[in-house]
Amino acid sequence: MVLTVLKPSPLATLQGSARAGLRHQGIPASGPADPLSMALANRLCLNAPAATAIEITFGGASFEFRQDTAFAFAGAVTFATLSGVPVLAHETLEARRGDVLTFPHPAAGARTYLAIPGGFRADTLFGSTSTFLPAEFGGYSGRALRAGDELERAGAASKPPPLATPAPLRPHIARAHSLRAVPGPDFAALAPAVWNETFQTTRRMDRTGIELAGNWPKPENGALRPSAALFTGAVQLTPSGNAFVLLPDAQTTGGYPHVLQVIRADRHLLGQIAPGDRLSFLNRSVDGAYQDLRAKTGYLDSWLPGFRF
Amino acid sequence: MSAPEIFFVGDDGLAVRVAERAARHGLAGALRASGKWIDVVPGKGEVTVQFDPLAIAPAAAEALLRKQAENIPEAEESAAGALTLHMQTDDAAAPDLARLAAENGLTREAFLARIEASPLTVDMMGFTAGFAYVAGVDPALVAPRLDTPRQKVPAGSVGMISGQLGFYALAGPAGWPIIGRIAEPLFDPRREAPFTLEAGLRLHLSIGR
Repeated sequence: MVLTVLKPSPLATLQGSARAGLRHQGIPASGPADPLSMALANRLCLNAPAATAIEITFGGASFEFRQDTAFAFAGAVTFATLSGVPVLAHETLEARRGDVLTFPHPAAGARTYLAIPGGFRADTLFGSTSTFLPAEFGGYSGRALRAGDELERAGAASKPPPLATPAPLRPHIARAHSLRAVPGPDFAALAPAVWNETFQTTRRMDRTGIELAGNWPKPENGALRPSAALFTGAVQLTPSGNAFVLLPDAQTTGGYPHVLQVIRADRHLLGQIAPGDRLSFLNRSVDGAYQDLRAKTGYLDSWLPGFRF
Repeated sequence: MSAPEIFFVGDDGLAVRVAERAARHGLAGALRASGKWIDVVPGKGEVTVQFDPLAIAPAAAEALLRKQAENIPEAEESAAGALTLHMQTDDAAAPDLARLAAENGLTREAFLARIEASPLTVDMMGFTAGFAYVAGVDPALVAPRLDTPRQKVPAGSVGMISGQLGFYALAGPAGWPIIGRIAEPLFDPRREAPFTLEAGLRLHLSIGR
């Protein structure tokens, strides 16, 4: 055993890779809401980008190490305490058996990833260890972590040297977000003047999506379309007059107007949007988004070879 | 036949419009078998694929899909026999049944007889794990969505809106009125074949009264 959960609050899950090829059966990508931060934490432990890590939502979580081990964290929380001593994100750290790691509430952002060399042991289903809460599979018995849960290391691990994420590659997480997006299939019909608007997130957020309040067009009678495929990053108008942007655990099909699609290169940013944050969308063409994806992947490639958005 | 309409869904998705259900299922199967796409998802009027633009650039993906959609294979929808599922209709399992029957001017018994006689086919899966949209319900039966969705219905619940049934494989929120509950598990991640249903499958409901 490597770690005991002391406090998971309010939500901590084991996450690994995104799932693929099962959306037609209703199984979405699942996996980390911010895969880039998870990859950065794993990199400091010499793990593959999607090695199983703990996704911690907001703050207040604490863990007790049950053996000496290296570890690292990245994401919303920038410093934690290890048995009372401040420790920083984006560095390879060392814990002693009995040390208690405590995460404060982040000043901005929503999710923090805790990684250890070798990754955490977790249930594998449909090609991934990621916890998918709606159908209760993957991760730790298909459920969120609870106080007292004991986690094991998945595999043999070599001891990483002291590493640190290069400063230019550390994501800057604020309470205002600019997301690049292409018009969705229902954009033209509703012609929303979204590019000049600022939207605000409500308190309705989880791993399936985030509600965005603001000046959205009102589809007539809820304007349900015949159900069609949806992916992470889809922005749908709902009958409430607000929109929802979909996260990795969202439904795979739906009938609300799909007006925007956050581009592939920026979907990791969705995992760091918290209630009350401000959001704006930047207009991209399909080809522009392709160039953005190439540029961003290339920028990360020397530090995170093999990482793909 | 004219070339089908193809359009982008975001920067890493493409959809082919295919009106006919059997053709959608045939095309979706062929696209999945080609191994070129991350996901292939049939909807009610199109088939959508997702791709990694770093593996295949958007213009090349569009050209490939256009070529693959030229010959839409015949789906073998009617080849397999119908699967029989058992539906419970006691008040706990079917909280909206009596009201819907009355609104359609039918007795509970007559309403269920029409459902039982309907030639049901799984139109598409999706929404949540194992959820099935089932087409073929007697079109004379009217059932509007609930004004306020239920926060939670049990796994196996059968929802109905005009023209179709929805099988909720998991417990969860539901916006369709509930007319029964399937006795057989529809999704079990511990089984070798976790999904009971698939698009194109014909169904027969055996209704317990």
